[in-house]
Amino acid sequence: MPEQVALVPFLILAIATLGGGVMVVLSRNVVHAAFWLLEVMMAVAGLFMLLSAGFLALVQVMVYAGAVSVLVLFTVMLTLRRREDAIRSLDLSWSAAGIALAVLVAAAAAIASFTPTLPAAPVVTPGVEAFGRALFTSWALPFEISSVILLVALVGAVWWAGGGEK
Amino acid sequence: MSDLVLIVPEAFLLLGALVALFADVLARGHARAGAWIGAVAAILATAAALWAGQGAPALFVGQFAVDGAAQVARVATGLLTAAFLVWLAVVGLQRGSVRDFTALVLFSALGAMLMAAARDWVVMMLALEVATMPAYVLMGFDRSDVRGLEGALKYFLLSMVASLLFLYGLSFVIGMSGATAMGATKLQPGLVGALAAAFLTAGMLAKLSAAPFQWWAPDAYAGAPAASVAFVSAVPKVAGVVAFARVVLVLAPQAPSLPLLLIGAAVLSMIIGNLAAYPQTDVRRLMAYSGVAHAGYLLVGLAAGGEAGARAALFYGIAYAVPSLGVMLVAATVGNTLGEFRGLAARRPFLAWATVLMLISLIGIPPLAGFTGKLFLFTAAMGGGLVPLSVFAVVMSAVSAGFYFRIVRAMFFDSAAQDLQAPRVPAGAAAVVALCCAAVIGIGVAAGPLLSAISFTAK
Repeated sequence: MPEQVALVPFLILAIATLGGGVMVVLSRNVVHAAFWLLEVMMAVAGLFMLLSAGFLALVQVMVYAGAVSVLVLFTVMLTLRRREDAIRSLDLSWSAAGIALAVLVAAAAAIASFTPTLPAAPVVTPGVEAFGRALFTSWALPFEISSVILLVALVGAVWWAGGGEK
Repeated sequence: MSDLVLIVPEAFLLLGALVALFADVLARGHARAGAWIGAVAAILATAAALWAGQGAPALFVGQFAVDGAAQVARVATGLLTAAFLVWLAVVGLQRGSVRDFTALVLFSALGAMLMAAARDWVVMMLALEVATMPAYVLMGFDRSDVRGLEGALKYFLLSMVASLLFLYGLSFVIGMSGATAMGATKLQPGLVGALAAAFLTAGMLAKLSAAPFQWWAPDAYAGAPAASVAFVSAVPKVAGVVAFARVVLVLAPQAPSLPLLLIGAAVLSMIIGNLAAYPQTDVRRLMAYSGVAHAGYLLVGLAAGGEAGARAALFYGIAYAVPSLGVMLVAATVGNTLGEFRGLAARRPFLAWATVLMLISLIGIPPLAGFTGKLFLFTAAMGGGLVPLSVFAVVMSAVSAGFYFRIVRAMFFDSAAQDLQAPRVPAGAAAVVALCCAAVIGIGVAAGPLLSAISFTAK
């Protein structure tokens, strides 16, 4: 039996997510686009809350809204020399829009015909402690590989950023 | 606990990468010490992979298991990485620091080894990222070269889109199966299963530089240092073929449209790769298109389906990687354009004859590795009922002879320009090229034992 989520909050958050996404693409000013991105991340965190996934919502706010959006803003503000540079040209490509629309329609049709077969939800929602335990036992290998990915990114970024050119 | 011995090769590579990063501190005054450290780590990893063997129970609650295919791919990755790093240690780089280069190469090899043994969708996705992320930096390693950085950026963006496609497909697959283990994959029939399979395939095709996602490769290769191209175009692809084969083996029985996608991509790759290679004058660009064509041959095997096709594809992946690495190492010594290859037979006869040997293996002339590889591929395709596709692939192999012979003609029949000097070839570099030649002959002659060592087990 599918659990229901409240319709009105869901609609508000869904519209905030999709509308924010459209605004990210359509904003002429990249700083505005970055702020719209922040808004999208927050709305997605709200959707997680609605699904009573409190930990995911927290991570979403901390990592995406907190770190990623701020990083984007920093990058934009550090690389722009003048205020006018923030204005980008907006070239709307119909072929790209067509491909995006086709993928969207196909994905929507696929999701509509899709019956999820997730394992039965436990009676008591597992907390952060159970999550941490799983992360460091059965998910230890993927966890360690992710840390190698971060290390690779770090080494690559240090190389490209230069410093100490000999 | 003793099962953990299976993951020791990866540990050696990780350790080697970390030590290589500090090579300048550990061995002061030796600019290329990092590459020697890396080469030792790769050899140790290969030895450990051989010693640990296969068939032991799966590690990490079934997320990691070494079957015959994984074993062969891990040993091949280790050997190719070691050969490349020895070459790097002897020759060095024209620009850039050898220690960072070595560390990135080892990280990529680490990801490749993990990918070959991954039995869980999440582990495979992450290992794929570890294998490809260092490649972006390697392709743009010359940070003063704007064209190289542009190529690297294109590669990065397309590869990221490919990862997103793969990940989006995975979200469907995991949602339908209710588990992340590859063995537990259950696709629902109809549109959603077909779409998930198509997303995963598209991601894999882009990572393998197969059509229709091939357009990043020529630009990225032509802007990159030849040494980077030698590694990136050859070594990680061996394990990539294993991962792709596992995706196909798991999904094809449940998604009937998947073989059609593979056939389409194979035909397109063979046409674009073989025809677009003709007008090229840059060896890196030519080898990029040749790589697209060879990805097409591989896809013929995968489209044939079943274990026979997957085994033939991995065999061909190795039979492609060895000569591709060899030719690009020669290009890294001689020069990047066909003009710089002119008259090489008179200046450096050994390099010229070695290049000829590797090129005729790429064309597929007996008794070399490329011939046996194609024989296995097309036999598997015939067995899978794909007779027209096999015939087309044979015709395309014949077409490919034309552009490979342009290199041969430049080396033997064109006289060199006056100002071209004989390139400096250290003994170690010549030894690595000779080793590639020996491997090309050895794989071709002793194909039977190698093929029988490759086996895919589902669990």
